[in-house]
Amino acid sequence: MLIEALIAVTFVSAVAVMLAPDKIAGKLAFALSLLPVAGSLWMFGQYDASGNALFEAGTLAFETTAKWITVGPYALNWHVGVDGISMPLVVLSTVLTSLAILSAWTPIQERQSQFYSLMLFMLASLLGVFTALDFFVWFVFWEFVLVPMYFLIGIWGGPRRKYAAIKFFVYTNVASLVMFIGFVALVFALDVNSFDMIAVTSALANDSFATTYGLGAETLKVVAFFAMFFGFAVKVPTVPLHTWLPDAHVQAPTPASVMLAGVLLKMGTYAMLRFNFTMLPGVARDYAVLIAIFAVVSVIYGAMLALAQQDLKRIVAYSSVSSMGYVILGLVAYNVYGLGGATFQMVAHGLISGLMFMCVGVIYNVAHTRMVGDLSGIADKMPVTAAVFVAAAFGYMGLPLMAGFAGEVFIFIGGFQATFPYAQLFTAVAMFGIVVVAGYLLFAMQRVLFGPFSADTDYDIVPAASHDTFAIVVLVLLVIVLGTAPEVFYGMIQDAVNPMVDSFPEATAVLTGGEL
Amino acid sequence: MAGAFDFTAAVPLLPFAAFLIALLVGHFAPRLLPKGGAIPGILATAGSLLLSAWLALTVSQGTYHTETIYTWVVGQNTFDLHFGVLVDPLSAMMLVIVSLVAFLVHVFSLGYMNDEGETGLPRYYAGLGLFTFSMLAFVVADNLLMAFMFFELVGLCSYLLIGFHFREAGPPSAAKKAFLVTRFGDYFFLIGVVGVLATFGTSRFLAVSEGVESFPHLAEQALLAAQGEGATPEHVAGFLDVVGFEPQTWFAILGLLILGGVIGKSAQFPLHTWLPDAMEGPTPVSALIHAATMVAAGVYLVARMYGFYALLPTVLAIIALVGGFTALFAATMGVVKDELKQVLAYSTISQYGYMMLGLGAGGYIAATFHLMTHAFFKALLFLGAGSVIIAMHHNEDMWDMGGLKEKMPVTYYTFLSGSLALAGIVPFAGFWSKDEVLYEALIYGSGESPILLAGYAMGLLAVFFTGFYTFRMVFLTFHGDARTDTAESPHGVGWNVKFPLVVLGVLAATVGLINMTPVAKLTGEHIEFLKDWLAGPQGSAYANIGYEHYHHLLVDFAGYGANESLGVLVPAAVSLGLALAGAGLAWRLYSVPEPVEHTEKLGGIKTVLYNNYYQDEYQVWLAEGVTLPLARAADTFDQGIIDGVVNGVSSVSLFAGGRIKRIQDGIVTHYAALLTLSLVALLVAFGLLGGWF
Repeated sequence: MLIEALIAVTFVSAVAVMLAPDKIAGKLAFALSLLPVAGSLWMFGQYDASGNALFEAGTLAFETTAKWITVGPYALNWHVGVDGISMPLVVLSTVLTSLAILSAWTPIQERQSQFYSLMLFMLASLLGVFTALDFFVWFVFWEFVLVPMYFLIGIWGGPRRKYAAIKFFVYTNVASLVMFIGFVALVFALDVNSFDMIAVTSALANDSFATTYGLGAETLKVVAFFAMFFGFAVKVPTVPLHTWLPDAHVQAPTPASVMLAGVLLKMGTYAMLRFNFTMLPGVARDYAVLIAIFAVVSVIYGAMLALAQQDLKRIVAYSSVSSMGYVILGLVAYNVYGLGGATFQMVAHGLISGLMFMCVGVIYNVAHTRMVGDLSGIADKMPVTAAVFVAAAFGYMGLPLMAGFAGEVFIFIGGFQATFPYAQLFTAVAMFGIVVVAGYLLFAMQRVLFGPFSADTDYDIVPAASHDTFAIVVLVLLVIVLGTAPEVFYGMIQDAVNPMVDSFPEATAVLTGGEL
Repeated sequence: MAGAFDFTAAVPLLPFAAFLIALLVGHFAPRLLPKGGAIPGILATAGSLLLSAWLALTVSQGTYHTETIYTWVVGQNTFDLHFGVLVDPLSAMMLVIVSLVAFLVHVFSLGYMNDEGETGLPRYYAGLGLFTFSMLAFVVADNLLMAFMFFELVGLCSYLLIGFHFREAGPPSAAKKAFLVTRFGDYFFLIGVVGVLATFGTSRFLAVSEGVESFPHLAEQALLAAQGEGATPEHVAGFLDVVGFEPQTWFAILGLLILGGVIGKSAQFPLHTWLPDAMEGPTPVSALIHAATMVAAGVYLVARMYGFYALLPTVLAIIALVGGFTALFAATMGVVKDELKQVLAYSTISQYGYMMLGLGAGGYIAATFHLMTHAFFKALLFLGAGSVIIAMHHNEDMWDMGGLKEKMPVTYYTFLSGSLALAGIVPFAGFWSKDEVLYEALIYGSGESPILLAGYAMGLLAVFFTGFYTFRMVFLTFHGDARTDTAESPHGVGWNVKFPLVVLGVLAATVGLINMTPVAKLTGEHIEFLKDWLAGPQGSAYANIGYEHYHHLLVDFAGYGANESLGVLVPAAVSLGLALAGAGLAWRLYSVPEPVEHTEKLGGIKTVLYNNYYQDEYQVWLAEGVTLPLARAADTFDQGIIDGVVNGVSSVSLFAGGRIKRIQDGIVTHYAALLTLSLVALLVAFGLLGGWF
């Protein structure tokens, strides 16, 4: 019942904050957000699962099943639980929400109780997304997440907030629809009587089709795979489906950007991992080259776009496209380091991109501009912020002993071990992203942070508020801890991805494993 | 009983502690931090130095050490990734060099930074501490991944320290360039590391026990199997099947990829351009970067995994040619520079070229020897330059100096010792090691690998230029008449500047004596101590990282064979003669009371040399003239085409919706007409399909 309690507490907190007066809403929301943080950390401490949530062989942690409704022959059940893939993401969601709330204290000055309430409501939905094991429960939470984000951008956003919010909502919702049709069509064709993800996985593994709409099992799988892939790729986002992202980020207030880049994008790759790659590994294998092309193009093209930007927030937004491309590369590699690295990178990138957006937000709070050309040498006036910015930027570049390096190097190892055609070449090309990312971040830092001080703004450049500094310092420390001790999460992640690798030996057959 | 090896991890961790102290105390309680963090740094590096010396002593008794310190990733159904230490003659020697230079640089910084009233000292000493930590951890690394990780951290530290004066425009730009150019090299290096892990399932340098293999050894087995002896290790064979390369080809690709990182960090052509700019950093930092850390890291890495490179003749030849070319190329640029530190910067690039030439030419000992002697004399020269810069109130232009000899004798004589070593004048350190590098290139080149002769020729020619620019620098700085008021009455320097100079000055004069190969060959005396030191024990697991084994690999796999008919005397005399000729020319031109620039006589070449062969221009062009426009084009494409399609879809649906909306105009007769029309259309359709007609 722990997961239910966690979601319920978060939801009740959201309601409580909604009713609280604006004056105390921020502090109350932060205090209440510590409850899910504590809860998720306690879960993490008590975590005792092994194996993957979608395979019957393993055990799940905190699993509960309850009858919900029956539709025709289909039983829709409340079914939640966590495994090594979802547990780190649950912790990431709670921690990042808490810090994002802290980062809202300075910039959010209007309709505060609604703002913080939506943040907590979003967290409750996210927890549902990462723990649900029945498709319908999962889908309800999946859609729920969009609502608060729509309002966060649409109400508290920048000048073009309406355009950005609607674009975000319509784009991702249409994608969800395609994905929904793809998955439901697949389940209707299978010989199962529920939408339970475990049941669907095993039915697909056994190829127990009741009908295939006259398409043939293989074609149906391919169609369903790409319908779902399209739906999730928009969320990730993968080039060329990414253009909603920079608009959403640039218009969104800082805390919403933190959540969007830090957690919401991971929903896409998480769902790809669960649905596309766990349920239909054969299709993923057959189309590995195509998927790898998407991944590599996302990495390089996304990084090139970041290089062309003048707005710090746009730089970070495009660089997310680039970093998420690595996750897809790891998934398609389909071995322990690839899949595990992809999962680890979700957490690592969640922390680091959240951190980068917060740093940019801290500068924006003070300077009221984010344009690279408007600022110069502000390290002189904001030394601590500048120091954290440098640390964050190097984290983003994949500096060893920081979380991003661990995630990336696991993915690269996985990519090199992958056995689909030209896997090594794809990996090597994608790796060039580490040079481009260094390019645009170093250029931005040189111009904004260093050199003689000047600021083309009407505001005084003064050190950041202490709660802002606190939030970014905590995140930097977390990034360093995860980078020096990736085992904190990586052990359970490997537990959860190994059954996937075992279930599909074709991807690794040529290589013998074993300690050397 | 606790032996030296129990404290191996403390060698890098002590400076790390100094870093933390400088960072945290410096931020929260700066008043409590003695000398802005210098004292913790000095104590920590002194501790590292003592421990390193103890390790070296233990190693000299023939006991080596390797252990896993920390398992970074425990692989499940796959290999682990770990941090471990490997203490053997090579790493023990390097530990002593690094910690000694770091210690002296810390002491020198008291004079250069504290006494000159610099601000931001905790940040400076934190950077030095982290730098020393990263380099020491890199040196003791027992596997390639760990080496890469600390290699990159060294890059970060260079960024932080080169950009120390961040309020000015120059240093942040130079810092960025240093990181970016070396990152470009590290990109290839990382592909190499990942490739090694994927190919061999391990990146250890040394196979410690049964079942725990090293990648050079696995590569050796695979190549033997390709020649028909034994079987290819299972994992390697599986991987080679996947990539579809012959082992020789694939290993050469891996070797070249890793070499990318080496070329970046060791500032070899064409990735040397960051190094002269890096002079923007405080001078003690330059000493540290150029002598014992960062730049040394690249060459050290090749030496560390020589068991792999010795298998690959193509890669060795490339290393030798890159090295020889860089030695000559950089030396010619050093000839026309006006600023003291710029001359030294180009000399660093050139000297590392010699080390690469030595490694490529099969002179493992020669290159390692030169790495050591260079560390001492280059640290000395930079610190000497720092002393001159203090005296000159931070003016670095040699044309504003002159006549400093009488005013600062300690600096002069120690600097002279370093210069004689750099120019390669007998019996100073640089002579012995540089001569040995050239000798190895010559005997193997005239033996079985003629391509090495090209490297030898370039290296030999560079000797002349080295002699010239070194003494041009000495004469312009210290001799003749003072050319400015500052040079007339220079600022004095304290003990904290003189002490490091004296220590290094003595070393630069004497350290070459530990491996006097020509003398040994002539007299038959057994005095090649460094060679014995690096030879490696027979019959133990460590034999695979000893010189004897490398030599055997060079002969068996790379086909190296020496031309034994050459004597030692003639080649040594030739290189000494060239060095003296260069120095003599400098003496003719510049050892006069009022020297003038002679560069005009070079004509058009002068412009080319001043502009460093336009290397910077084309690299900046690659970044700003190619990549940036490409990025902007991508952005335009993205905004126009991709997002245009997205917005187009939404416009089309809005437009269509707007048009369809008109049908519902609220006029009942229109609705009735539509209903009737639709019904007729439906009936016709059914009729056509159902065959009613």
